Amino acid sequence: MNPLPMIALALAAAAAQPAPVQPMFRGGPNHTGVQAGTAPRTFHRVRWTFPTGGRVVSSPVLLDGVIYFGSNDGNVYAVDADSGRQLWSHATGGPVAATPAVAGGVVYVGSYDGRFYALDTKSGATRWKFRTGGERRFEGKGLHGLQPRTQTIADDYDLFLSSPVVAGTTVYFGSGDGNVYALDTASGEPRWKFTTGDVVHASPALADGTVYVGSWDSFFYAIDAATGKERWRFHGGEDAIAHNQVGFQSSPAVVDGVVYTGCRDANLYALDAKTGVEKWKLYHNGSWVITSPAVADGQIYYATSDSAQYNVVDAATGKSLVQQQGNAWMFSSPAVAGDVVLIGAANGSLEARDRASGELLWEFQTEAAKQNAAWVLTARHTFNNSMAFRVQWQDARTSAVQRTFAIGSIFSSPLVAGGSVYFGSTDGNLYAVE
Amino acid sequence: MRFLTAIAVFVLCEVAANAAPSPAGRWQGIVQIPGLPLHATIDLDQDRSGAWIGSIIVPELAIKNIALTGIALHVDTLTFAIKGVLAEQGEPPAAFEARLDSSDTMSGTFTQAGNHAPFALRRIGMAQVDLPARNTPVAKPMEGKWVGEYELAGYPRQVTVTFTNHGNDPASVEFVIVGKKVNNLPVDVVQRDGDFVRIESHEFGINWEGHLRGGELAGTYEQGPVELPLVLKRPQGESK
Repeated sequence: MNPLPMIALALAAAAAQPAPVQPMFRGGPNHTGVQAGTAPRTFHRVRWTFPTGGRVVSSPVLLDGVIYFGSNDGNVYAVDADSGRQLWSHATGGPVAATPAVAGGVVYVGSYDGRFYALDTKSGATRWKFRTGGERRFEGKGLHGLQPRTQTIADDYDLFLSSPVVAGTTVYFGSGDGNVYALDTASGEPRWKFTTGDVVHASPALADGTVYVGSWDSFFYAIDAATGKERWRFHGGEDAIAHNQVGFQSSPAVVDGVVYTGCRDANLYALDAKTGVEKWKLYHNGSWVITSPAVADGQIYYATSDSAQYNVVDAATGKSLVQQQGNAWMFSSPAVAGDVVLIGAANGSLEARDRASGELLWEFQTEAAKQNAAWVLTARHTFNNSMAFRVQWQDARTSAVQRTFAIGSIFSSPLVAGGSVYFGSTDGNLYAVE
Repeated sequence: MRFLTAIAVFVLCEVAANAAPSPAGRWQGIVQIPGLPLHATIDLDQDRSGAWIGSIIVPELAIKNIALTGIALHVDTLTFAIKGVLAEQGEPPAAFEARLDSSDTMSGTFTQAGNHAPFALRRIGMAQVDLPARNTPVAKPMEGKWVGEYELAGYPRQVTVTFTNHGNDPASVEFVIVGKKVNNLPVDVVQRDGDFVRIESHEFGINWEGHLRGGELAGTYEQGPVELPLVLKRPQGESK
């Protein structure tokens, strides 16, 4: 048998496949977290690493073979997906802890400098900048039970900035000033702003003319995308003492008329997208749900923080389908790619799990995690909490958190394209593995 | 005769050479954890019965005068563990295994959470062992099981405290808090003064103290900076 026709057929089929596109956080405006690419079921190698000068908690996005992401070194980067070579960088005035959105030849992203940027995809040149009321982290008196109890303490775990969503000629994002903004994509002029009671670092989702996003004020909002008027609000949990079990840090997914979102009150909520009425909720014994849920084929994929549970539940009922015990807190939002689910963990590991069973297929560990400086991890790669957090005073706690993140925690949501997986780490690298 | 004298001298020298130096004293040095060197001060002494007692200070980990446990000396090998901190519930305690290298130095391996690090200590003076507070029996009406509930971080926790007296010896205490999971808190301190009683769990950093009044133990739950009222009552259907 002549193999040439077969090869030609295969090449033709490959050429017919659309180029991988992942232009914004969670893939598209409704944030399903489903990737076009198929993830590898076995780990082969690190293809390349791209070092930056700060933590990478931003998630990479992809368009036309170029990866765009932010770093806490203050830069927005464009990197060739094949080679890992830098195409351009654009310096902002603060850490870029948000995931960019790319549309119409423009990269949109916010920075801790309190500005929102529109950059040319080819050159990184500024199209326009918009100044918000300023960024800040969530904070509370005696936060998480820390001392001093009467002093306002900023939250070390408020890691992400709100990532924008683009639809038509409008870009939407939240801000530490408590507002949700809608800006004209061409000019950066505000179309409306919606004021909540606290920091908005969750990323808005958009579906059927409605913007959905939660705030640290304990409310989840549905806002008319055209007018900025509130359609409904849903009240999550409160925590007046330690401010630990309050606020929406998770970003929502909207599928088939239902909004799915995690909350720091330890619940995963399913809300009716039209009315905000709770359809079901799942409580996780005080463990935050920071990950943004992925939704595919009637199933929800998400994970918890300190209880480190990887979960798959039925989207209609909230019934648990799969539960696997992980090693460390997961803030990284899972990516569904074919029959594999990818998720980062705070112990410096990227986990690839079988979509059906939740079993671990492979695990990549950063070099920093392998070195395990300061014994941040136990010998079993779980967090060494009894040593790392043997402090109550805020300054010492902050030092402990810095040491913890120094092992290369993966808070970034993985991107899958062309058989490779791309993700950032707090060791400062963007990784491409296959 | 000269031959016998030589043997005797040799034997005496060997005995002297093999006699382990006493580890009693205050020792200071560094545990070489990568990226986090720990400055340790360890006090070791013997009580009236000859049993070894000790305590440890590690400023980097906010450890001040925590008791040592399982202190054992075998020839020149000394082992001991840290009581109540640096170990998750159900995990083995953080432990030292040392060789007394000379009369004033010891070195060995520190083990915690499955990780291992070398350490070296030098004797700098007399031991200043910080003895734990003396525990006491509780008042007769306090004996038995008590239950209560408090809310922290948005969800309720059920508390069960059970006091058991042992004659004039310190009472034993079961201190169970059911929240995210069932926490059986090891109790380091139980002290009673009249109608007042205080219990402390150093591993969890959780204390409770209160007064027996009107058949209830009305008191306060303490966890770090958090103080909450917590009244303990007899379980329904039980007077004691």
